[in-house]
This record gives sequence, structure tokens and C-alpha cells, in this order.
Amino acid sequence: MRLASVTPWLSALCIAIGLWQLGGSAWLLAKAELAQYLISTSWERQLASGEAQKPWPWADTWPVAQLKLAEEKPLTVLHGTSGQALAFGPGLLTGSGEPGDLDEPRTTVIAAHNDTHFRNLGALEPGAVIRLQDRHGRWHTYRVRGAKVVNSETDRLPVAPVPGLLLVTCYPFDTLNAGSPLRYLVYADSVDPVATLQL
Amino acid sequence: MNRPFFHPPRIHRDLLILPTDEYYRRRYRKSRGGSWLLLIVTAVAVLVAAVGARAQSGESVDTAAFESVSINESGSGDLLFQGSEPGRYIPAIHLGTEVAIRVRGLVAEVVLEQQFRNTSNDWQEAVYVLPLPENAAVNGMEIVIGERRIVGKVREREEARRVYKKAREEGKRAALLEQQRPNLFTSRVANIAPGEQVSVEVRYLQTLRFDRGQFSLRLPSTLTPRYMPGTPAASSQTVALNAHGWSIPTSEVPDADQISPVMMQQAELTGREGSHQMDIRIDLGMGLPLADIHSPYHEVSFRRGEDHRYQVGLKNGAVPMDRDFALFWRPQVASMPSAALFAEQSTIPAEPDAQYLQLLLLPPQENLAARKLPREVVYVVDTSGSMGGNSIRQAKESLLLALSRLSQMDRFNIIEFNSSHRSFFPRPAVATADNIQRARSWVESLRANGGTEMAPALKEALSQQLDHRVGELVRQVVFITDGAVGNERALFEIIRQRLGETRLFTVGIGSAPNSFFMAKAAQYGRGSFVQIGDLSEVQGRMGALFEKLESPLVTDLQIQWPQGMKVESYPKRLPDLYRGEPVRLVARVENGALGGAASGEVVISGRLAGKRFSRSLSLSQLSVDDSGKGVGSLWAREKIAALRDEQRERGPLSDPEAADPLSEQILGLALGYQLASPYTSFVAVEETPVRPSSEPLKSSPVPNAVARGQVMQSFTYPSTATGVYGQALLASVLLVLGGLLRLVRQRPLSAGQLAGCRPWWRKGRTRVERALRRWLRAVTPDLRRRAGDGPGGVSR
Repeated sequence: MRLASVTPWLSALCIAIGLWQLGGSAWLLAKAELAQYLISTSWERQLASGEAQKPWPWADTWPVAQLKLAEEKPLTVLHGTSGQALAFGPGLLTGSGEPGDLDEPRTTVIAAHNDTHFRNLGALEPGAVIRLQDRHGRWHTYRVRGAKVVNSETDRLPVAPVPGLLLVTCYPFDTLNAGSPLRYLVYADSVDPVATLQL
Repeated sequence: MNRPFFHPPRIHRDLLILPTDEYYRRRYRKSRGGSWLLLIVTAVAVLVAAVGARAQSGESVDTAAFESVSINESGSGDLLFQGSEPGRYIPAIHLGTEVAIRVRGLVAEVVLEQQFRNTSNDWQEAVYVLPLPENAAVNGMEIVIGERRIVGKVREREEARRVYKKAREEGKRAALLEQQRPNLFTSRVANIAPGEQVSVEVRYLQTLRFDRGQFSLRLPSTLTPRYMPGTPAASSQTVALNAHGWSIPTSEVPDADQISPVMMQQAELTGREGSHQMDIRIDLGMGLPLADIHSPYHEVSFRRGEDHRYQVGLKNGAVPMDRDFALFWRPQVASMPSAALFAEQSTIPAEPDAQYLQLLLLPPQENLAARKLPREVVYVVDTSGSMGGNSIRQAKESLLLALSRLSQMDRFNIIEFNSSHRSFFPRPAVATADNIQRARSWVESLRANGGTEMAPALKEALSQQLDHRVGELVRQVVFITDGAVGNERALFEIIRQRLGETRLFTVGIGSAPNSFFMAKAAQYGRGSFVQIGDLSEVQGRMGALFEKLESPLVTDLQIQWPQGMKVESYPKRLPDLYRGEPVRLVARVENGALGGAASGEVVISGRLAGKRFSRSLSLSQLSVDDSGKGVGSLWAREKIAALRDEQRERGPLSDPEAADPLSEQILGLALGYQLASPYTSFVAVEETPVRPSSEPLKSSPVPNAVARGQVMQSFTYPSTATGVYGQALLASVLLVLGGLLRLVRQRPLSAGQLAGCRPWWRKGRTRVERALRRWLRAVTPDLRRRAGDGPGGVSR
């Protein structure tokens, strides 16, 4: 085989694909970071106006809550857990509970990618405080009870008709392949606002 | 990995550099370059493997850490994670289904055999939520193991549970079939040995549906996950049998855990050695020449036999169990009967004189140009999460078609509901072109998501119509839904109490709608129902519904039995009939009065568009069949349904301790006629234990397939990794590789030009090379050293 004639092509190809992949991954990370700014602005507008505001005109999702994990900077949660929504921010699972909906209490399920927004989910300790702002601007407090690894192929998402918060991300963290069936769940109990007042 | 990497672009011949003087030098260089390439590739492979190994080891360590922080306090958290032992149950049981249906007269006798094969290494109990037609009279259950058959018996529900539990604990093979809803059963099989296959045969009877000259038969194969309204309730079951449902019992649906099976995508199930496939064989022997035998959702083929019998089967063998099977056929026009009567002698020893009668009669089908009354229609459309996917498209299409049928005289409104409801107009508005146009664009924008809070929407729909316009308008509510709710009872109660002069029609949407809800809601709503399972059916089925909505009704139906004949017939009050619907009833006649010379005639009369009509049918020439127990079972099933309706209307007893006369009556009937009912279950137990007591028994739910075209909702995990690290690593590997290749190519040129002096990059390369070697030496284990260390136990 005449490797000599192929080498320049091969190297150009490698570099091209490498750049493309690098660009792709950089774009993913940049999208995840930058979109949060746009989304948090639309969340502010939404809180002020009371109407659903799309972060950009062609978006197929809209912010529904704001999530603050322990000491980290707040993340704006989007409606739905489709791939498009999760690329920009944590997503609130459709059909799971609305935060602070006392008429129809249900576990609130929020999912995000383990390499972008929920990168540090593994660092949450039991007892850590998570705060969630609902669409009326009220903040709800949750306290982490524990974490668990489950197999998404065989387990159901444990959604119960009690107010609680379930954070979901892929497991293991810092892995190379994206298709792992394992999920890392963090469950946080709702801290009754009445109880907080009494303290 | 990336595909182009393995398929380098083909280079055109003209572009190739042909061998010149340089050829041999290049070739020599290349071989060295090749060795370089080899080194790099090896290094990259080692690097990737090392990173992978780190990730692996990290995983196991972390899992161990989880155990220590896992949720082990009691409370709702335990409930939350109930039954989630990873990797335990899904692949344990393989399910196959064979259905043999025999149609005789107006009855289909169905034998449904389900094979549960244990594919795990443990003894298993299979728990399966079995959907059946809403009017099924379940009259038999057997366990089949190879050639052996263990016949199941009807027992009182609690007793059947006890018998089953005891057999399960003792290691005997046992099966239990419990009714949860008229169209939803739970089937359990205990003590299936590893690798063994145990079949459960369920037998039931079903009346054929007849509408607009067409007979039909429906066989559900899966269900749409039900929404469970209400607040969670404490479990109060007296005999706790393990339920694998993901729903927690609520105040509205106390048996939510029993009717919410694990759902899995059909593709995934088929991937597991073709689980969840059903084969169907139908023997159509109505004694009539038939035309137009077809199934809307499956491909069927049929063969004509002797005596107008037709053998119908699936064209391509077994089909996935992810949608209802339906079969339609019509008698040839010349032989279309206007009435059918079937009589049967009782086979119950205690009452040998009883006879049963089944009757179907077509009212006059004149094409009456009736005065068209203006209508006021409220369309209620379900936009809950379970409607996601194809269902919402079918619903929208149906609704748009319905809007296009309205005339200027009519008034209309649309209500959509999921967790809450929204009404398009506050009150029904005149169907002007402008209003309809606005409604159309609103309908187009509807999306499926959220819960199914049907009750408030239903109340709203039934209270929107103003009282002072009674008589001027025909009031109709058209309810478009998949009926995926667990609180059917409460909804029927709302319909019954608030209906007034309104008529409620249901349109069942999707591949596996809740037929029980559709039929019963229409019965209470004094309307009719259609089912749409495919987008292509919308036009035809909605057309049929509109014909019903717009045509005059057959009202005031009366039935007159011959003098002195003691008859108990169901339904007690004959409902009004819409266009194309027949009068149908089942009756029990005392003292063997049928088929004799003195039997006389039964007269059915009614009113159609202001004109009275009557039909009489002779009972004396009837041939009474004394072999079957088909009509008898159907009569008992109808009576149970009527008693259940009565019970529902009466509401719960004020004293919960007191014996309920109605439930006693149902129990007596079900035991007498050997039927499954809310109070009776089938249980079959083998005599000898098979499972050694040293072997534990595991309980596994057999999943139901997600109905075709439905978005798998109900809380599956989203995928939450982008693979950005993998992508970045691949990118850097490729960049390094490309760069090195480039260097390899350029090296001799620069070496030739700058002979004598070592170029800077060459020094750098040697350094990199050395570092790499050192690193590799450190990373790769030295076998010699270990071998020397081991046996002697010498440590340095």
C-alpha cells in the first residue's frame, strides 16, 4: 500500500474531524452555559409578567422554575426533559409535580446532563438544602435525604403523590460514553414552610 | 468511533503521485513512519484503556459509598423506592399468547392461552395485568404444564387469595385470576421453575357488537397507563398480595397499585427473544354467508369452509401485543337478518328448567328526512399526557372534522382538559364561520401533557347548557378521550347525576383505549360510542358518529312477553337507539316455556321519528340448544353488570360492617354460574409441591407493552449524558494523530535541508518518546518482578 500518498489526506482528515468534534463538544458546553443567561432573563420577565416567555423566539420550551443547589449559582429549569430542552438547562419532567402545588402534590422530577448542569450533583450531601422557585416566584426549600443509583432499564421513576424533589442525572459521572443505563437519583424532602417559620 | 476514519476517501487516479526516483526513499521512510504510527496507536489505546479502567473502578467504589448513604429511614421515601431492585425483574418472564376464538350465533367463545416462561435462574411468580374486553364473561381458567391440566375453580375473592397464597408458600404450582375492573384482570402464576414454561388458559364469552349492518369483535392486548386522581391513601388491604404497580393507592383509586403495570416499549420486548407476541385464530360460524371480513389494525387472511364457516387468521403469523385486535364483518346484503333469536337450556343441575334467550332485532331502517333540530354541542377533548403521540393527532383530526359539520343554526363550545380544564368560550356560542375558524386554530395549538382530571371537565361540560332553552335545542356532549383513568366509578356518578336532557357520546382514541369507560359512559350518558385506533379511521368512524348525532332516535322501546311467561331480561330498561343500532337483550325464562307449541310471541314496539312500529317474533319454533352454556353465562354476566350499576347508584352503605345484599346477590350469581366477578376469582392449585423449600421464590411483574403510537409517558428516565467528554477525547486523539501524521510526512524534507543540525522538534520528539516509554513502563505491570516476588514472599 502506498501510504505516502494517503498520509497527507489522512492527516488532513484527522485534523478536520478532530476540529469538528472539538467544535461540537465545545459548542455543547458553550450552549449549556450561555443559554442559561438567556433563559434566566426570560425567567425574570416571566415572573414579572406572569405569562410564559420563551427564551428565544424559536425555542420549543420555556422556563418553569429556578433551582438552587446548595451553594451553587442558580439554574433555570425548563419545561420537559427532551434532548433539546436538556441541552440548555435542567428539565422538569412533564407529568411530575409542580413545585408548591398543594392541591395536587406530587414529586417534582428535574433531570439534567451529568456533564453540564448537574456536574456536581454527586457532591450533594444528605442534609444539604436545595431551593426551588416556582412560577409564582415563591421559593420552596427541600432537604436532601439521600442518593441512590438505579438502572433505568429495569426501574421506574419513583414518583409519589407527596411534595418532594427528585434530581436525576446519568451515572457514572466523568465517563466517556453517553449511553449508560445507570441513573443517579437525589431525593430531597420538602421542608414544610410552616415548620420553617416556627424555627 | 467515527466512520470516515475507517473509510478514507477514495483518491482519484489522476491525483495519485506516480512512482518516481523518490519512490524508494519514501518507501523506506514510510516503513519507519508506519512504526511510529503503530507506537502512537498503541499509546492511545493504552491511554483510553487506562481512562476506562479508572472510570470503572470509580464506579464500584462509589456504589459502595451509596449503600452507606442510602435511604433507609422509614416514611414515604421507602414507599418511593419500593420494589426497585435493579436488574431484577424485567427479563425474568417471557410471555407468549395464543388466542382461539369461536363465533357461534351472537357469541364469541374465546380461549386465551398465555405462556409464561421463566428465563431467570430463580423460581418465579409471574404477575401480569391482563386486559380483556369490557363485556367478557370469564368462565374458566386452567394451568397447562405440558400435557397436564389443572382446572381452576371459582371461589370468593378473599378465599381464593388465601388458597393461592398458601399454595405459593408451600411450593405448589398455582394460578390466580382476579377481576380489578370489568376489562382489567390480574393473572398470577406461582412457582415456575428456572427455564420452565407454564401456561394459563383463560376462557371467556363475549357478545358481538352490531352496528350499521356490521358485526365486530375486539380483543385488547395491552392498556394505556391509567391516571390516578386523588390523594395517597394508607394501604388497607386485608390480605396483602404483592402488587408491582408503580402507582400508589389514592383516595379515589384504592387499587391503583393493582392496575398500573410496568410498561415497556414493544421493540424492547420483542428484542427479548420475541416476548409479547400473540397469535389469533378465529372460527367464524354464524351460519350466514359473509362479506367484507377485515381487520383495521392487523393483516388477516381467511378461508371459506363448509356451511358458511370462515377460518380467519393473521396473515404474517404472530403480532406484537401493543394494540387492540379488531375484526369486522357483515352478512351479505341478501341474507341480512332483521332479527336473530337463540335459545339455550340451562346446564346448571339446580335449575334444570331454566332457559336462556338471546335476542337481536333491527328496528326499521327507513331513510327518514327528519326535521333537523338545531344542536348545541360541547366537545370535550382530553389533552393529558397519555394522549401524547398519535392519539392527540387523532383527537385533533376528529375535533376538526366535527367542527366542519356544524351549521349556522348550531351552537358549540370546546373544553380541553388535563390537570386542569379550559373552555374555549365561557358558554356555547353560535357556530358562525368566524367562531369556527377561531376554534380551529385553537384546536391546532393543543398539546398533550399533564394529568387526567376528568371529573371537573365533565362537570363543566354538563353544566354549560342553560336550562331555559330546553326543547329548542338538541343537547349533546362529545367526549374525546382514551379513558386512561382509574376512577371510572366517580365519573359515571357525575354523568348519571348531572346529565339532565343532554346526551353524552364518547370517542375512544388510541391503540388501547379503556373500552369499559367508553361503553359505560355512553350508557349512562344515553348516547353512543365509537373507537378510533388509527388516523385513517377518523373520517369513517366520525362520519358514523355524526350520522347518529344527526339522525332521529328510536325511542319508547317496549317489550311484551307472552302471557304467563316468567321472564327476567337484561337490560331492564331498553335504551334509546341511534341509527344503525339493534335492540339486544338476554333473558332467562322459567319452566322450560320456550320452543313449545304454546310459547307464543314476543312483541317489541317503539317509536321512530314520531311513528310507532312493532315487531313480533315467534318463540314456538325456536330450537333450544341443550349443550352450551353460552347464553346462560352471558345472562348472568349482564345481571351482574346491572347489579353493579345499581350498587354504584346506591353508593356505599352507611354501615360498612353490614352485609351488602347486592354484593351477596352478585356473589351468589358468580358462584352459581362459575364466573369471575368483583367478588369471585379463579384459583387453580396443583396437588404436589414442586419447589424445594430451600429455594426462594421471586415475584416478577410481566410488563405490558406501550400501546403503539403512544409516547411512553409515566415516568421513564430521560437520557442525561451528552457524552461531551468522550467527544472531546476523540477530538484530541484525532488532532494529535493528524498532527503527528503531518510531522511524519514533513520530517525527511526538513532533514534533507538542514542536514547535520538536529532540528528543535526532533529533540522535542526524542524527549516525548523517552517520557512516553518511561510512562508506559510505569503503567504496564512487570510480570517478571511479580513472579519473583510472589512465591518467595520477599519484599524489598
